[in-house]
Amino acid sequence: MTDTSRTNPLTQLGSIVRRAWRDFLSVYYANTPVWRWLKSGALVFLGLFLWMGGNVLLAYWTDAVAVRYALAYGFVLIAWGPLTHLLVVPVVIRLRRTAENPTVRRIVRHGSKINFATFLVIVAVVGTVAPGVMLLDFSSGFGTDGGDVTAELVCETDGDPITCELETAEGVDHVVLLAGGEEVDRSDEPPYAVSAPRDALSEGPSGSQFVIELRDSNGETLRRFVRTV
Amino acid sequence: MSAIASLFRNDYDADGFRTCSVTGLDVHRSVENYVKLFGLTAVIALAVGGSFAFSVAMTRWEFVGLLDPSGYYTHLSIHAWNLLIFWMVFMEIAVLYVGGPMVLGRKLPLRRLATVGWVTMVAGAVGVNASIWLSEAPNEAPLLTAYVPLPVSPWFYGTAIVFLLGATIAALPFFATIWSETRDSRRTLPLVAFGAFVTGIVAVEAILGGIAAFAYAFAWRVDLIAAVDPGIYRQLYWIVGHGTQQINLLAMITVWYFLTHVVGGAVVISEKISRTAFILYLFFINLGAAHHLLVDPGLSAGWRIWNTSYAFYGAAFASMIHAFAIPAGIEAGRRRRGQGGGLFGWLTSAPWRNPVFAATIFSIILFGFLGGITGVVMGQIQVNMTWHNTLATVGHFHATVALGTTLAFFGLVLFVIKTMFRRDFVSDTLASAIPYAYGAAMSVATLMLMYAGILYGVPRRTAEVVRNIPGSEFNLSAAIPIFMIFGIFALLAILSGVLFVGVSVGSLLFGDRLAAGDDGGMLPEGGLHADGGEPIHAVELRGTFALCLIFLGVFVAVYVLNWYLLTQLWAIGA
Repeated sequence: MTDTSRTNPLTQLGSIVRRAWRDFLSVYYANTPVWRWLKSGALVFLGLFLWMGGNVLLAYWTDAVAVRYALAYGFVLIAWGPLTHLLVVPVVIRLRRTAENPTVRRIVRHGSKINFATFLVIVAVVGTVAPGVMLLDFSSGFGTDGGDVTAELVCETDGDPITCELETAEGVDHVVLLAGGEEVDRSDEPPYAVSAPRDALSEGPSGSQFVIELRDSNGETLRRFVRTV
Repeated sequence: MSAIASLFRNDYDADGFRTCSVTGLDVHRSVENYVKLFGLTAVIALAVGGSFAFSVAMTRWEFVGLLDPSGYYTHLSIHAWNLLIFWMVFMEIAVLYVGGPMVLGRKLPLRRLATVGWVTMVAGAVGVNASIWLSEAPNEAPLLTAYVPLPVSPWFYGTAIVFLLGATIAALPFFATIWSETRDSRRTLPLVAFGAFVTGIVAVEAILGGIAAFAYAFAWRVDLIAAVDPGIYRQLYWIVGHGTQQINLLAMITVWYFLTHVVGGAVVISEKISRTAFILYLFFINLGAAHHLLVDPGLSAGWRIWNTSYAFYGAAFASMIHAFAIPAGIEAGRRRRGQGGGLFGWLTSAPWRNPVFAATIFSIILFGFLGGITGVVMGQIQVNMTWHNTLATVGHFHATVALGTTLAFFGLVLFVIKTMFRRDFVSDTLASAIPYAYGAAMSVATLMLMYAGILYGVPRRTAEVVRNIPGSEFNLSAAIPIFMIFGIFALLAILSGVLFVGVSVGSLLFGDRLAAGDDGGMLPEGGLHADGGEPIHAVELRGTFALCLIFLGVFVAVYVLNWYLLTQLWAIGA
């Protein structure tokens, strides 16, 4: 007589699935203090990964609905994972043993299913509404700050003195030339030409050097150029 | 003073030996005292570096914006040198003495050299800190790398060389022990001693590279040579720059094998396989340093591809072996003792309230999932392009060093307090909280560094980029939510580090002295060597197999996501 349970792949598969499910439940209901923290921590990490990964994929696949729900799953899980394993599961286990009220007993018998269903409903709502706090912005801040400057510095460093001026400058009030931390020259009018004798320059690691600073009317540095002769 | 002197006292027999009530090892006074000395010095370096973690983190969290750029570089340099180098290397000398003479039951030979080594290392460490703190224009703070031609004080290069020479001298008694143990014997070294020996060899490679790099730069700074080649300096530097981190890796894995056995009841499922993994490290691990040079000019494509693809996987393979062997050893050991029902019963029933066990296990898990996976991903030639010089790199090495190695060394320090200083913890509850608080807080801070770097391209080493890049129309303000989370959890991690130092120092000064024979709660249920049980190869390791499948799943997901992000780079400017 043949033992079909040993040879039938479907039976074997079923056995593996049943065993995996039992193992999953044993981990889900593990209720020692350390395991509550370990499971909560692991779910926080899974949540962070899904939230961040989902956000970055959504930045490329803007119409991908499934990705939006995956990142909503991660976003809610960051809070719901610890809530489940630090509060819901311990309470459900305790009440299954101790509750005497029939209504309470009926609720806690299905406590984990109710908890998971609530979680999924929240994920569905959050995924559909997509609140701003859940969505990370990957657009650059390029051009959004009107206070910055664009400028092109042109220097003639072969002769003595060395000279510099700005070919384009917007938002600049004045320009100073510094050497060794000391101000050598200053210009307040376009094209903001400044100069310094070569022997006034300071020694840097790769030779004589000077610094050009573009400043606003309050004397704040908007942009700094370091040039080596 | 007498309180400090009492820390170095224990009850020894006439020959200076005593039997450890936890490990069962015959420990000589000389070994124990030097392990204590180097361990205490390491904790001081940790406290110094950890203090500067506060100012560094509160500057990168631009919501606070504590320091200006020049102050930031000084603080970052001191933070890096004390935590990446001094805390680690002092601990690693202690690990060598534990893995060598202590495990082998010998006296520490060449004790005067050990003293000279310690004095030289301390002089070098103080000198490096002073030279960074006192740097004045035109000199700059060196950060960790001190890349030429950055004008760095010659005192920095000089004292860094002194520190490295001191570490070499301090390692000599360990090598002398190994020599004495093996020269007339065909006996194989125990696995922990073998791991320590491979650690020592990799350390010598790293130190020689460091002395060459810093001596080259020093000669330039004192005008012995007219010019330096930055490319050559960078090649030499990364022998020590990444090499020191490989010492951390090997020392940490040696500590994993040691502590999981002693406090968790683990066995070694295959000595040959574990030793093979150590030998793979010996040949391949230092080649991983090449990923630091992947954007440097002057290196051929063949050099890059060989080092960061083919050779690199030799080291990754070794890590995979240890990643399986150590949890499998715990599972096999605990199931043999009848402490492992179900899939994870061997883990559920483990001594999680013992901070030494918890710190070691969190070190393994967090190093593997956060530091290991990201190391393989960012260490290879292609994906490295999206990680290079971003905060994601900083996140990676905080996962390996600040989480993996530091947690393992936390466990080792707490173990040494019980077994060598023979002191009870000043508070068991606070001691138990250390690995949980530090592991959780530092993990989230580390993840945020990675996300800021890989998702937003936020650069490393800069004091101010997110809210404002001076003189630029560009900013990375979209990453502000990430930095808000980072800042809060960085603070929590620093507070957890303060808790570790407080509990350690408090236990040494105010902890009750343990009675002779008291194991201090360090031993697993059933003692160090449980009787009976199945042969190791008959034990089912399905829990470890399940963990490895989870690890593989995360690895694949992170790998695929990173490759996808890389392919999207070509969209820039399109």
